[in-house]
Amino acid sequence: MENKESAVQYYDGQIVVVDDAEQFANATDQHLIKDLGKVLLEIGTILMSSGANTGRIRNNLNRISDAYGYKTELLISHRSLMLTISDERNCYHFNSLKRTPPHGVNFKVVTGISRLSWRVVDEKLSVAQIKKELDRLLSLPHYPRWVILTLVGLAGASFCRLAGGTLQDMLIVFAATSVGLFVRQESHKLQFNPYLCVYFASLTASLIAGLFVKFGFGNTHEPAFVTCVLFLIPGVPLINSFSDLIEGNLQNALIRGLSGLIISFCIALGLLTSTVIYQF
Amino acid sequence: MEWILLLEKSIWFGLAALGFGVLFSVPTRTMAAIYLMGAAGGLTKVVSMHLGLGIVMGTLAGAAVIGLLSIPAAHKRHAPPPVFAIPAVIPMVPGILAYRMMLGVIKLAGTVQPDTYTQVLSETVNNGLKVLFILMCLAGGVAIPMLITRKDSAKHIRFHTLIKD
Repeated sequence: MENKESAVQYYDGQIVVVDDAEQFANATDQHLIKDLGKVLLEIGTILMSSGANTGRIRNNLNRISDAYGYKTELLISHRSLMLTISDERNCYHFNSLKRTPPHGVNFKVVTGISRLSWRVVDEKLSVAQIKKELDRLLSLPHYPRWVILTLVGLAGASFCRLAGGTLQDMLIVFAATSVGLFVRQESHKLQFNPYLCVYFASLTASLIAGLFVKFGFGNTHEPAFVTCVLFLIPGVPLINSFSDLIEGNLQNALIRGLSGLIISFCIALGLLTSTVIYQF
Repeated sequence: MEWILLLEKSIWFGLAALGFGVLFSVPTRTMAAIYLMGAAGGLTKVVSMHLGLGIVMGTLAGAAVIGLLSIPAAHKRHAPPPVFAIPAVIPMVPGILAYRMMLGVIKLAGTVQPDTYTQVLSETVNNGLKVLFILMCLAGGVAIPMLITRKDSAKHIRFHTLIKD
């Protein structure tokens, strides 16, 4: 019984009092299903908060539980995940619900979990090994702050160029975008409402760009003022919303779309506040 | 001369894609691919617009190129296709049009001036519909390879099967 062997290995060091081999196998199976269920819940909620679409979450979790020979049913929503994992042979069930952590796009984690799920299939990792790998993925560092600020600033400058801005416009947008992103990061740290963080960033960036447009150092114009807030566009919610939509996960699609819409609305509100202040 | 200007634009498309990649903290090994895909998609868009295809269909073409390129990139760099495709399509989001739509809506909500109201209304509706359709084309173009190959995971898609199907 291969099931029993893996269970013995997994419960190494733990005293399990049993009368016969079959009872032992049943007891360890029950433990295994519970532990696997907990790990799957954690993986699912992390995937949701890191910006994976609903189909991807379902695929990854099913891939892992299939590798163990268990059947998993999921209820995936934006802020919580419900999971029932069962073993058809013994009729053991584990059923639980977990709240999703606050959303923040992190594609390193999405990539890592996708590769992890294939490793579970190919290399038959134990639950403890999955946990260890998951902890390693979560502790991976982000890019250094100055790298993010510089490259996003450059992205803003590129947007400006694409919209027909001059070199001078590009420099202004670079500065406005970098400062705007800095304000967004800082207000996240102060634990403001995430939509409010977007509003602050949009307001700061457009105030900086608007200053140059209004008091005209050289001939700065519309493209600079508009493109300085484009680094805030909710690309991940909107694209995931559409991919959920065509896969039939309508509820999540609507919620993601609405979330993206509110972010867009906050960007527009920040721009609007600047236009009122500068009376464009 | 016009073609050089179009090529120059593709540099900026790639740079904008890279910026969003860093913002979404993609793995370092995927960055070169994201730059190239952003540039290729952007070039497709500007060339199709130059050939008179219009902004909506041009964006669909650009997004489709990015979606198709995301499959080989995913195999080569060992990451899921959306990790490449999402940062690469974001530079094609129509910021200026969305801004003009917003200004138009504000004007429409203000005091009614009978002589200009109809013109503002038609411009606003035009810009708004363009924004809506461009966003749908971006998301739809990226989804094309998954839709035509009918597979759950990009790991099972190879280019020769894609052509055979």
